[in-house]
This record gives sequence, C-alpha cells and structure tokens, in this order.
Amino acid sequence: MKTKNNINNAIVQLVFNCIKKRYWGICLMGLILFSCESILDIDPPKDTLITETVFEDVSTVESALANIYYNMREGGMVSGVNGIAVNLGAYSDELNYHGYNTGQLNFYNHNILASESILLDWWNQAYNLIYAANDIIYGLDHSDILTEEDQNFYKAQALFLRGYLHSLLSGVFGATPYIKTIDYVQNNRKERSPEAEVYEMAIEDLETSLELFENSSLSLGNIYPTKSASRALLARLYLYTGSWEMAVKTSSLLIDDFELESDLSKVFLKESVETIWQLKSGKIKNTYEGISFIINTIPTRGYALSSDLLNAFESNDLRAVNWIGSITSDDGLTTLYFANKYKETFTNSTTELEYSIIFRLSEQYLIRAEALAQLNNLEQANQDLNTIRNRAGLMSVDLNSKADLMEAIFKERRIELFTEHAQRWFDLKRFGKASDLLSDIKQGWRDTDVLLPIPESEIELNPNLKPQNPGY
Amino acid sequence: MKNLPLGIRKWRIFFTYLTLCIPLFTLLLSVAPQIQNLTVTGRITDNTGMPLAGVHVKSVYTKKGVVTDFDGAYQIGVSPVDSLVFTAIGYKSQTKAVNNQEIINVALIEDITELGTVMINAGYYNVSERERTGNISRITSKDIETQPVTNPLAAMQGQMSGVNITQTTGVPGAGYDIEIRGKNFINGTTNPLFIVDGIPYSGQSLESAYLSANINQGNVSPLNFINPQDIESIEVLKDADATAIYGSRGANGVVLITTKRGKIGKTKFDIGFNTSFGKVTRFRALMNTEQYLEVRKEAVINDNFESYYNNPSLDYFWPDLKIWDQTRYTDWQQVLLGKTSTRNNLQFAVSGGSEQTQFNISGSHLKETTVFPGDANYNKTTVYSALNHGSIDGKFNLNFTTSLSLEDNDLPYADFTLLANTLEPNAPSLFTDKGELNWENSTWKNPLAALDRQYNMKSNTILSSALVSYEVLENLEVKTSLGYSKYDLTSYATYPSSSLDPNLGYGAEYSTTSTNQSSRDSWIIEPQINWSQELGNLKLSVLLGATYQQQKEKQFVIRGSDFPNNNLILTLSAANNLLIVTDTNSEYNYAAYFGRFNLNFKSKYILNVTGRRDGSSRFGPGKQFGNFGALGGAWIFSEEGMLKNSSWLSFGKLRGSYGTTGSDNIGDYKYLGTYDITGNYYDDTLVIEPSGVYNPNFGWEVNKKLEVGLELGMFDNRLNVQLAHYQNRSSNQLIGIPLAATTGFSSLTGNFNATVENKGLEFDINSLNIKTSSFQWKSSLNLTIPKNRLVAFPDLESSTFANKYIVGEPLTMIRLYHAFGVDPSTGIYQFEDYNADGKITSTDDKQWIEDSAPDFYGGFSNAISYKNFTLDFLCQFKKQKGYNSLAIDALAGFKRNGPVELYQRWLEQGDNSLVQKATMGGMPALSIAGQSQSQSNAAFTDASFIRLRNVLLNYKLPTSVIKGVDLNLFLQGQNLVTITNYMGADPEQTSNSKLPPLRQITLGAQLNF
Repeated sequence: MKTKNNINNAIVQLVFNCIKKRYWGICLMGLILFSCESILDIDPPKDTLITETVFEDVSTVESALANIYYNMREGGMVSGVNGIAVNLGAYSDELNYHGYNTGQLNFYNHNILASESILLDWWNQAYNLIYAANDIIYGLDHSDILTEEDQNFYKAQALFLRGYLHSLLSGVFGATPYIKTIDYVQNNRKERSPEAEVYEMAIEDLETSLELFENSSLSLGNIYPTKSASRALLARLYLYTGSWEMAVKTSSLLIDDFELESDLSKVFLKESVETIWQLKSGKIKNTYEGISFIINTIPTRGYALSSDLLNAFESNDLRAVNWIGSITSDDGLTTLYFANKYKETFTNSTTELEYSIIFRLSEQYLIRAEALAQLNNLEQANQDLNTIRNRAGLMSVDLNSKADLMEAIFKERRIELFTEHAQRWFDLKRFGKASDLLSDIKQGWRDTDVLLPIPESEIELNPNLKPQNPGY
Repeated sequence: MKNLPLGIRKWRIFFTYLTLCIPLFTLLLSVAPQIQNLTVTGRITDNTGMPLAGVHVKSVYTKKGVVTDFDGAYQIGVSPVDSLVFTAIGYKSQTKAVNNQEIINVALIEDITELGTVMINAGYYNVSERERTGNISRITSKDIETQPVTNPLAAMQGQMSGVNITQTTGVPGAGYDIEIRGKNFINGTTNPLFIVDGIPYSGQSLESAYLSANINQGNVSPLNFINPQDIESIEVLKDADATAIYGSRGANGVVLITTKRGKIGKTKFDIGFNTSFGKVTRFRALMNTEQYLEVRKEAVINDNFESYYNNPSLDYFWPDLKIWDQTRYTDWQQVLLGKTSTRNNLQFAVSGGSEQTQFNISGSHLKETTVFPGDANYNKTTVYSALNHGSIDGKFNLNFTTSLSLEDNDLPYADFTLLANTLEPNAPSLFTDKGELNWENSTWKNPLAALDRQYNMKSNTILSSALVSYEVLENLEVKTSLGYSKYDLTSYATYPSSSLDPNLGYGAEYSTTSTNQSSRDSWIIEPQINWSQELGNLKLSVLLGATYQQQKEKQFVIRGSDFPNNNLILTLSAANNLLIVTDTNSEYNYAAYFGRFNLNFKSKYILNVTGRRDGSSRFGPGKQFGNFGALGGAWIFSEEGMLKNSSWLSFGKLRGSYGTTGSDNIGDYKYLGTYDITGNYYDDTLVIEPSGVYNPNFGWEVNKKLEVGLELGMFDNRLNVQLAHYQNRSSNQLIGIPLAATTGFSSLTGNFNATVENKGLEFDINSLNIKTSSFQWKSSLNLTIPKNRLVAFPDLESSTFANKYIVGEPLTMIRLYHAFGVDPSTGIYQFEDYNADGKITSTDDKQWIEDSAPDFYGGFSNAISYKNFTLDFLCQFKKQKGYNSLAIDALAGFKRNGPVELYQRWLEQGDNSLVQKATMGGMPALSIAGQSQSQSNAAFTDASFIRLRNVLLNYKLPTSVIKGVDLNLFLQGQNLVTITNYMGADPEQTSNSKLPPLRQITLGAQLNF
C-alpha cells in the first residue's frame, strides 16, 4: 500500500508540474489512459434474463414452461399445423392430400428422404423442448428460493413433458436418444436407445411425475398437465409395452375420475368433460386442427378423408354425422369429406370455443378394453368397447374370442380416434398391420416405411446416431 | 483501481510513466540553439513553369515549414547554413542548401511513379510508399471516380491483390462479401474492420431477414452511405505489420477509407452527371414448352400415374398438362428479369481554401431502378463536408468531416429470379383480356400479384469525425481523434391479401405487415502522442495511444396481421394482431492501448514495432484483455553502394513482418447463460426460451501472420513489381460450434483448438509502357494465388465437424458424391459406393472433395491516353469451380421448369444420357438419386471467368474551348463481356434465386471550374 501511495503522490506531483508548464495535453492524455478499464463493465442485456434469475420466481418458471406449451401448439409433432396428425394421417390410410407442398406430398406419396425438412423440424423441436424441460428440472433442483411444493409441482410438469416428447419421437423414429441432462458435451454425442428402453425411461419419468403431482395440492386446470395427464400417458405406454395389469389399473383411475361427454358434438369443445389435457389456443382463437382439416373450397389444397376410412364407418354411426363434414363442388360432380371434430376455423369465429385436445377419456376406455382382452377378461373388455360404441349410437357387440375382440378394438380405435395425433399410424405399427393394409393403397410403400428416417443432417452432426433406419 | 487484477495495474503504471517520461526525454534532446537570421523567399513551379501552390518547404535543421501560396511563393526564416526540403504530392522532393542565398526558386519534377512522395495512410500514422514495412494495397480517387458505383466495395473489385469481393445480388443497395487473404475462422465471418476517416464503422447489416430474406437476404450494406465520389483513397491493410496496431479487430484485415479534403487554391466547382442502363448479364437456357411437356408426360408414365392422369377429377393436380394451353410459350426470364434498369446520378462539389483553412462540400443524388417488373427504385442522397484548419504557427491542426446520407429503397417483396427460372413455360398469361391479373381459375399463382407486396427500406447515416492535434514541442505532437456515428434503418414489408388469388377468398384479415426499426450508435475517442527524433542517421518515431469505444445497437421488428382493409396495411395500429418478433438492445464496449516504435537508419534499414492491448466486453470476467503485436522490417537494398547507380534498378526493397492479431467477432453477451423474452404467450403467461449456455471461459482468437515481400522499381521506376508471400495461422478459434439437436441448441460459441492456415502469393505489377507528351499507356496487373488449409483439429472425428472438414483440406472444401452418370440400362444416376455397403448415404459416400475457393484471381487494367482521349479498362479474372445448373435441378419431370440440360434425359435402354429418366416424385429411388446428383461432382464444375469489369472512354474538352472550364465526357461500361465455360447463368452468382450482377452502360459528363 505504501509504495502505491508513493507512486500516486509522484504522479500527482508530475501532473501538477505539467499543468504549470502548460503541457496540459500530455496530462489529459495521461489521465485518460489512466481512467481506463471500467468502461468494459456493461449492464446485462435488457431483452434477456440470466438463467439463474429464472428459477428465483414462480412466474418466470411458469414462463419457461409456457415456452414448451406454446411451441407444442405452434409447430412440431403435436401441433395441428404440419404435425403428426396431418402428415402421418396422410402417410397412413386416413387422409388424401390435395395440395402441392413438396414436404406434405412426400408424406402422402411415401416419398420420404432422410433430408425431409418436416422430419428435421419435428426432431429439432422435440429435442429443443426436451432441453427446455431439462433446464427447468435442473434449475428447480438447484433453486434455494422456491418452496418445495412449487419445485415439485413444476418439476412434475417438466418430467411429464420430457416423457411425452420422447414417447412421440420413438413412435415416429424408433430407437432415439433419451436426453435427461443439460450437459451439451454428453448430449452432443448421445447414442440411440432401443424403442423399448425409450418407453421404459418415459414410464419412469411419468411415474415420478405422477408421484410429484399426487403430493402437490396445486393445479392450473386441464390446459396444463395434471396427475390425470400423467396417468393417461402412463396407461398408453403400459399398453404399448405390454404391462396389461398396470394399463388396466391406471386407466381405471381415470375412468373413475372423468365421465364421457354424452353429446358427441360437444366432445371437442373446450369445456368437454372428457378432456384430460388440452392446449389452450392463442392468437388464433381456435385450433390449428380445425384450420388444417376443414375444407372450405373446391379445388382445395388441404386434406380430405380417404374413402378407405369413410367406408370403415358402420352405418348409423353418429360419429360420421358429428365428426365428418362434407363439401360439394359448384358443378355437383365432386364431393369431399373432411375431419370435422373441430368446427372452428380462424375466420368463422372470433370467440374461443375449442382448444387442441391431446388426451381424452374415450381413449382410456379403449386402452382398458385392449388390456383386458389381452388378460383374457373378455367380458369386461366387451363392456368397455360397448361404452364407446353405444355413445356413437351403435349396437353392443359380444365377442367371445380374443382375436375377434382385438380386431374390433383395432377398428373401433380407428373410428373413434381418427386424425387425432396419428393414433391410427401408431396402431397400424403396433398391430403389425401397416404393410398389409398400406401396400395396396400406397404405391410407394416399402416394408421399411414403418420407421421414418433419422434426419440426415443430424447423423452428420452426431455420427453416434448411426446406423440410419433401414431403407433410407 | 481497487479490484483490478495485478496485471492491469502494472500496465496502468507502465503507461502512465511512459507517457510522462517522453516529454522529459524530448526536452533533453531539443536544447540545440535555434538561429534564424536569414529570410529566404522564392517561387516554386513545375517543369513547365506553372506556379505550384501547396508545396511544403521545410528547414532540415529546425524542422519548421511553410506552404507555398497560389502563386507558388514562400517565405521562411532559416539559418544561413541550413538546407530546405521541397515536397509536393506527385513531384520528386528536392533538397537545396541555403548557403546564404536569399532567393531560392525551384522547379519540381513530376514523379511519374510517385513512389517516393506518396504517403500511405496506415491508420494511426502515415508512412511513405517507399519506407513502409507492411503490406498495404491502395486505390485512389482516380480509380474510384471513373466507376459509377454506389458502394465503395464495388469500386475495389478486381483492383487489389489478396482482396476477394463478390456482390451478393444485383438488387440495388444490397451487400457485398469481402474476404482479405482467405477465410481465417471456421464458421466466422470474413468481414474486415472498416475505418472511415479514423472512425471504426460496422459493416454489419441491421436489416432483419424476417423482412427482406426474399429480396436481399436481409443484407443491406451500411457502407452504402459513403458516396464513392467523396473518397480520396482506400487502403487495405493486410499483413501483421500493418494490422497488429488494430489488435483484436485486425485479423480479417483493415479497410481504411479516407474522404477528400479541400485544397489550397481558388474555389473549385465540380459538377457531374451520369446515366446508366443495365441488363442481366446472362440468362439461363431453359426448356421450352414442347420440351417441358414432353418430359412431364414421360414422368407420368414412368411413375405409373397413368390411371390418375386419365381421371378428370384429378386434373387440378397437373394443370400444366391437363388444363393450360399446350402450345403457349412464355420466356419468363424475359418477362420477369428483362427490363432495362436505369441509374441517374447527379453530383456537385465545391472546394478550396486558404493556407490556414480549406473546405470541401459535396452533395449527390442517385436514383436506380431494377430489371424487375413494376417501378421499384432506389434513391440515395448524400451530403459531405470537410474542413481543415491550421494555426498560423502550424502547431495546431484541426480536421473535421461530416457525412450525411439518406437512402430510400423501394423493392419488390421477393426477388423474381427464382420464379423466372422455374415457372412452367406454358403457364397462363399474366393478364386477362380485361387487363386484370389472370388467375386461370386458381390453377396458378400469378407472379405479378407479388408486386402488391412491397418492401421499403430507409436509412439515415451520420458520421462525424474530428482530428485535433497540437505540436507541444517541435518533435512532439499530441492529438486526439473523436468520432460519432449513427445509423438508423427503418423498413417495412407488406403482404396484403390482395396479392393472393381472389378466388381463394382471403380478405384483409390475412394481410400482414412487418416493420423493422433499428439503429446503431457509436462513439470513439483516441488520444495519441507522436514523438519523433533524429539522431544523426537514425530517425526514431514513437506513437502511443488509447482507444475508448462504445457501440449500442437496437433492433425492433414487429409484425401486424389481420387488418380491417388493405388500405390500412401500413398503419400497424389498425392491425388486430401484433407480434413483436425481435426487440433487442445490446451494448459493446471496448478499450485499448496501442503503440508504434519505428527506427529508420539512413532511410535504408527500417524497423517497425507495433502493439496493442485490447479489452472487450464481449468476454466474461478475467478474459477481457488480450495482447497483440508485430515486428516489421524493411531493407531498401537499392541504396547500397553496388546498386545505387544501377542503370535499370531504381528501387529495391525487401521487407518482412511477423505478428499476431485477434478477433472478438462473436456478437455481444455470448458468455452468459440466458433466456430470451419472446413476444408470445401461453394462457396469458409470457413465453421465455433458453437462448444461451453459460460459458465464461472463452477468450480471444489468435491470428499469427507472417509475410515476406520484395518490391522493385525499374527503369526510373517506370516498371514496379511487388511480390508478397504470406502465411497466416489462426488458432484458438472462436466459433459457433454446431451442435446436434439433442443438445437443445443448434450451436454454441466457444474457443476451438483448431488451426487454419492461409498462405499465398500476391503479385502486383505496374508499368508505364509509353509516355510521350501526347500519348501515355499504363498497365497494371494483380494476381493472387491463395491456399487455405485446415492444419490441425483435435478430435475432428468425434466432433460435429466430422462430416464437414478434413485436416489438410481447405475450410472451403465441400464433400460430394462421386457421380458415375446415368446407368444406360436402368436410366438412374449411379454413384460410387465408397464403403461398399450397397447403399448411397450422405455420411458414408460423400467422399469426393472439391474446393469452392478460387485457385487464383486478379485483375488486369490498362489506361491509355492520347491527347484529350483516355481509355481505361479493367478485366477481372477468377479460376474457380462452382455449382452448375445440375445442382439447381437434376430431376426432369417435376412441375417446374429447369435448365435445358434436363431435356437430355434417359429414354430407353442403352441411352448414354446426361440426365436420368423423368420422374415427378412417384419413385423414391429416382428422387433420391436426383437429389444426390445435385450434390455430386457432376454438379460442381468449372466456373472460371474473365470479365471485362469496367471500360471507360473519356474525352476531355480542350481548355481553350471554354476558358477556365474543364469538361469531361465519358462513356463507361460494366460487365460488358464475360468469357466463361460455366454451365449456368452467371459464374459470379451461381444461385438460382438471386439476381446476378448487371451489365451496365453509363454516359456521363464532368464539369470542373
């Protein structure tokens, strides 16, 4: 310290002498050189938040989660625009595509290349949101400020989302990497896990999520994931992985908690009592599904229901009346039928009537029916199947062989869940019927088409993703 | 001062002491007696006897000087035993001993090669061309004035060795890519540091791709603000010796732009006017209707779509085959790109001044139209002023310049080039019989509907600089340069529903408008001390300085949609939906110390040491500072005894330099882990998204540059040859490392331990071939042979770059499939299966390596004058490979037109054809092969060219015709002739969707009095 003072004194002396000698310029110069580095301290940017501060307040945590819900609604696999509902609907036997968009045509014509940009979008967005979920989980685990109850409640949502997105990825691409950390070094070289393992890890995440939800008294309604959403997805994944008893048990809890909407025309309204989880609409007041599926003019550039699907409806099925729309050209020569579960397009209504429904109760009945059938509890399986059939105004069935029952459930799922999040495509794969049923109606069909290709550019970035799925 | 690390404290103390010690040292050295007892007068003329104003007359002994007046007269007080040095730009200096004479008249001899007297701007200091140790290329107003261009970078094209400039698109006001001595950084930009009158000026566009991606890729060159006619010189600093004083920002080279100053003498008026007419250089050869339909129909059959084809209810699927006129033909390139563009430029300047004060004021206005349909046009107005003042004792000097520029650019929303190249040749007519837009029953998108979509960009730029200097002692100068610049850009892009097919029933609720309001503000202060001393044969000069700079940037992009009607589309407040796309503010602060130490022994041996210590706010705590420096030397061997009186060698210099520069070219705040606030909501909750990974450890990039050069002047300096060999190595690369999607990000900025080498040879030859009193012929040639190489890249194989780079290959390498052509028996493209797994995949079989950088490039120019006529021309040449028309489309049969080569498709067994059999997407194998063909070596072929970049024919009206008035009339052509083997449109612009540079002819007049 003493030396520093001496130095400073000497400098002051020199400066003083300089001023006396009118070498003011030099002094000024010296002073400026001297005042230096504090200029390099800058304020944090105004338009961004530093990561740690996000997890100091409940409202910013909600904002970070809102990112995931918002993006799922606006794009990627879950969205009604260019998501799996539309493209895998056209890829399977549900929809005919009438437009010119190359990517959408490629799905319809089974002309998919590993460079397909729609697939890249799905992949990128899903992993992007998985990172967002992981960052939230990490942030919550390391937050000293939030209460434990808050931490658990938001972590439950993030874990649910992580499980959900991974399950979809695996459904589309087969073996996929399961990402649980925010470590970019590790994630950058992550290898693919076989489909079965992905489902196992997703089930693990969902079970944790369910436990956290069950221990929390907080709830934000069905436009956010809840314990019921965790159960709904768990029931589906138990079914996919052959845990029949768990599937029966989990779906039963939901069937006890919820009731079916008796009026079919109200099933897709935002107040529908059978909705387990839905995404609230945003600037566009209603759903993208409505915009994508409803045909307003002929010629159209949209999607019409395939005759294959139309013919699969039994006569007097009220779902055909309530959930299918039609339009006839001015000359009366062409009539097109379209999915009309959602009634609103964004031009015909300015009030919010419909949200995008992701899980609803009737799937749970069908899950339980199938699991029961697998457990050879045919009587109750018939019962669950008939609950869905009766609501649609159809006669009860009483099938007494497991095979017939499975076939009936397979068919009922097609009718009940058509154009909903590619349920049909996943069923075709699950029941091993994709080749049988699609090779006749899709000229470009190859048996390897059951899996879509891992985006080529991603394999280039991470060679550990090799090998590419067969056929690409 | 409390919390600073020790290192910085040491530096402060060092600098403070150094700063204070120099004047003391100076005092000791300058105590020699100053005797002035003789007043010398005289008159300086040129060798024809015309008086020369502005000649510097300086005492060798006292270093004091005066300047000659309008009549060439001077008066100076000296000692009788002193000597006087007479110097003027463009003339050889002379030294005369006083020897008690009271009158000394001198006739200066014109220096035809200007080697000795030309002073080069090296940024913080000036150096004579003769004694410079670094590599600095230069063009002056003479080279720029004759080119009717709007951007200074355009004037540099083909003129300098080591500088590779390409225009990004032929659309007016768009940007240029500039690369000085190759690509140094993986993923980094090649933008050099631009300095205008001492003020760093960011060349980064502030336009948002959200608005103008389709017309100029969001790239609006901020350098448009300078009127090229106001430029006195452009210097490009290339090697370490020249750039190290710019430290961190010098890695990609430095471009110094100096504007014109007023000159001592009578008031001069300059008026210039010129008009240009432009056309697209080359059109593509595309299929005609007959060829197109033939190929299309074949595709239907090949894809087994006949049953669909014969079903009338599916006619909408192939309107070109089933609905439209089968004989109609339109040359869409002619319709959409065939207009003649015009450019009118008017310019006015007044300059002059007394010995103490000189001024230069100029104004210009430019209007340029496009080759597109519609009335798009670009307007630019500039006002420039410069003021210089020196006190009577010559100790105080002030330089002040201000330029103001207004741009107003109205362009179509999208470039029509892609449509012109892909619209079906039998597509319907644009208008119905009633003159309305024809939508042909909604079977096509009428391209002219796009004219309803507008893009407008307005920018205001103001740049002010001041340089104040004071000579405290006769060999000690203190100066400060101050600068302020502000660049404001506002733009909008509209997308009204009226630009869509009315039958689709879209109303104004579908209309959208996006606007961008951006600005960049920056100020800089650079105090400096300059000290020089002669000790016998040794000349010593020292420069010390500091820089403080702050730059703030704002960008605000907003999109409005759902308007009550289309007339309100420019009123965002009328929109029912507003979306804030971008709202960013960023700050960048920068502080540095720099210095130069120059030793010159007998004007023969020169040593130059420069250095800089840089601090940047772009780095995390503890990483903010970096040190850079260089050592340069020169030996003027022609001064050595043996060669001194050589009959042919008039000048010879060997020089070399080695040093480091760096880069912080990464954008602001990159070290922070952040969440971005988006303008979106879910259930009334604001959406925030992760935008950055916390990474405080990244630091400066380092770029080591080595250079040796040889400069020769022969035959009385009529032939000058400069040779330079450079080798630059960049390491500790700061790059956006691409990440796999599984990380949640597409890239991460960090230091990468890879080394990139750029080395090359540069030749510059200038020669005065013939000079007589009425005829003169000068030629110059520049040639650059660059070589880029990735020297080291640890863990390349396991990195995300594994499929992009190879050690030993250039950064500009591209991986391609190896095309075997079309299999004569199957009609499908074949490729080499490198790993022999029976499949062609991008990861395994793209093993054919090509380089997209040029093998060599350069320019050859000639200036011939005969009496009052001059003829200048500049040829630019480049040897390179580029993507050809197969890269754009190697698939025949799709519903889009393509290159005429597609007509040469495979037809039947045994055909040896260029293109595989037609398909329209029904056969995945064909589509995949077609896409691979576009990424094969067959699609990447020779794109070399020799282009007559610039031709000028000028006639100077004899002065005797109108007394006191100089009138020049000129005819100028740009891109008139292109010699190339390129398979495609323009070898300089290989894209299918961007307008290539235009061929222009300009007629103009220049009046001086």
